[in-house]
Amino acid sequence: MPEKESPKGDQHVLTAPLATEALTTARKQKGRPTDFMGAVRYELQFIRGRGAFEISIITGVLVLCYIVASIINPSDFAFLDPYNLSGVISQSIPVLAILSIAAGVLMISGEYDLSLGPALTLNAIAFIRGAEAYGLWFGIFAAIASGVVVALVNGLIVVFTKIPSFIATLGMSFFWAGASIFLNGTNAAMLVNSRSDLMVFLFAQDFGTFRSQLIWLVIVGILSWIFLHRHRMGNHIFAVGGNAAAAKAISINPIKVKLLSYAFFGALVGLASILIAVRTSSIQPGGTATADFTLFAIAAAVVGGTSLNGGKGSIIGMIVGAALIELIKNGLLLGHAPGFYITLFVGVTIVIAAVFNKLMEGKAA
Amino acid sequence: MSSELLRIQGITKKYGPNTVLEDVSFTINSGEVVGLLGDNGAGKSTLVKIMSGVVPATSGSYFWESKEIQNVNRQKTEELGVETIFQDSALVPQMTISRNIFMGRELTNKLGIMKTKKMDEIASEVLDTVVTIEGIKSPRQLVQSLSGGQAQAVAIARAVFFKRSLLILDEPTSALAVRATEALLDYLRQLKSEGVSSVLVTHNLHHAYAVCDRHIVMNHGKKILDVAREDTTVEELTAAVVGGVEGLRLFRESAKK
Repeated sequence: MPEKESPKGDQHVLTAPLATEALTTARKQKGRPTDFMGAVRYELQFIRGRGAFEISIITGVLVLCYIVASIINPSDFAFLDPYNLSGVISQSIPVLAILSIAAGVLMISGEYDLSLGPALTLNAIAFIRGAEAYGLWFGIFAAIASGVVVALVNGLIVVFTKIPSFIATLGMSFFWAGASIFLNGTNAAMLVNSRSDLMVFLFAQDFGTFRSQLIWLVIVGILSWIFLHRHRMGNHIFAVGGNAAAAKAISINPIKVKLLSYAFFGALVGLASILIAVRTSSIQPGGTATADFTLFAIAAAVVGGTSLNGGKGSIIGMIVGAALIELIKNGLLLGHAPGFYITLFVGVTIVIAAVFNKLMEGKAA
Repeated sequence: MSSELLRIQGITKKYGPNTVLEDVSFTINSGEVVGLLGDNGAGKSTLVKIMSGVVPATSGSYFWESKEIQNVNRQKTEELGVETIFQDSALVPQMTISRNIFMGRELTNKLGIMKTKKMDEIASEVLDTVVTIEGIKSPRQLVQSLSGGQAQAVAIARAVFFKRSLLILDEPTSALAVRATEALLDYLRQLKSEGVSSVLVTHNLHHAYAVCDRHIVMNHGKKILDVAREDTTVEELTAAVVGGVEGLRLFRESAKK
C-alpha cells in the first residue's frame, strides 16, 4: 500500500510503493559498519570538511590550553575566575553567537545584511522606549517587531530590485543609523524606571559562573538548529542558497524563502538588542558601539564554516565561531596583550580560520 | 497503442518583436521517448520552458491527457507530474543526496520537522532500485562529491521515485563523458519500461537516435520534422537539423535517386 507521509496530502508527496515492508527491511544503508570504531569512522566521513567539526576541535584545544594555564597560574591567567567566566565569557559570547546565527542563516540563503549594527541600535531604542512607556513586555515586543520590520524592509528591497544584498543593505545601514536619530533625537535612550528585577533576571542576571545571556544562547541555539537542520523550511533555505535554479525547478519559491530568512535574521537581531540594552542600560542613537557587530557576526559565521556564497553552514559552527573569536579576545586580554592593537590578532585569526575552512571544503564527502 | 499524455497545439511565443516559436504543435504519448532536436537558436529551450510551465506561451493550447489546461504555470505542471532536469543545475551541490532527493517534498511530521532517518533509508533504496547508479556509497554524501553522470542519475532517480509522468531532459549529455552518456541513455530505456515519458532535448543526433522512439526537429522556431524512429535515418535527421526545410528537401531528392 502506498503510504501517506504528508499532513497536507499533496499530490507530489511520496506515493511510490517504496515504503513497503519488504523494501525498507531489505537493506538499510549499504556499507554501514556495525562495530563501534567502524561506525565512528563511518560517521566522521560525513562530518569532516563541512565546517563545524574542525573548528570545534581547535576551539576545544584552545579552551583546554586556557584551563591548564589558568590552573598552573591562576593569578596571571585568570580564565577560570568566576568573574571572567560570568562577566566576560558569558556576556560576550552569547550576544555575538546569536548575531552569528542570525547572519549565518541569512548567508546560507545566499544573502547578507550589512545593516546589522545600526539595526541593533534602532531595535534597542525601540526596546527602551517601549519598556519605559508601556512596560517590559511591550518593550520586548517592540524590539523583536522592530528587528523583523527592519530586516524585512531590507529583504524586500533585495528580492524585488535584485540589487546584490551587499550593496542594498550597506546603503540601508546608513538609513537605519539616521532613522534611530530621527526617532529618538540625539540624546541617549536610557532604561530608568522600567529597569526592574524581572527584566534583569530575564536578560542580564549574574548566576555566579554564568549569566542569563547564556541561557538565551542555549534556547536560540536549539530552536535554530531544529529550524535550520531539521525543519523543511531550513532545508529550503539550504536549497535556495545552494542552487536557486534547482530549488525553483522543484517549485520552491526563492523569494519566500529569502524573506523568511530575513525575518528570522531580524527576530534574532531584535533579541540580541534586548540583551545589549539591558546590560548597558543606555543606547546612543547613531552611535558606533554596535557597528562592530555587523562584521564580527559575519566573521564568526565564516570562522564556523558558513560559506560566503550560500548553501553551506551549520548552527553549531556559527556558535563555535563566535566563541572562538571571543575566547581569543579574552585570552589576549588575560595574557596582558596590548589592548590598542588587540584587533590585529583577532583579524589574523579570522583570516587563518577562513583559509583553513577553504582547505577543508575540498575534503567534504 | 499508447495514450496521449501531453499535446501542445499552435504554440507561438514572441519576445517583443521577435517570434521565437511559430505555430508549433506535437503530441507526446505515455511511455514514449521523444527526441527534440535542433541547432542552437532553433527554439528548443523556449519550447522546454513552455512545456514545463516556467514561461507562458503567447498563444496556443496545452492539453494534458486530452484535457485542456488553462493558464499553465509551474505549480500546475508540477501537479501534473512534469519535471525538467536542466543540465548541471538539477541538484544542489552543497546538500546531501538524500536531501536533494526530498528537496521540496520532504517527509515531515505535522510540525514540519523532517524524518531524516527515514529519508536516508528511502534514498538509499532509491539509489539501489530505481536506477542503478555505480559508485555511490551513501545517501549522506554531498552531491558535489559526485561526477556529472552520477548527479544526473540522482536527478532522474528522484523524478522516477516521485512518479513524475513526463521528464524533460535539457541537453543532458553535453557535459558527460562517453561512459556516463551511455549510462544515461540506459536510464532513459529503463524509464520507458516504467511507463514514464521523456523528452530528450539535444543537438547530438547520435544520442537521440540511439534511444528515442520519435524525433521532432525544430528549425528557426518551426517544427520541420516529426517522424518515428523506424521511418528515418541519422542522415535524414542530420540534414534536417543542419539544413532546415531546404536541407531536408535536398536530402530526400538525392535519396530518391
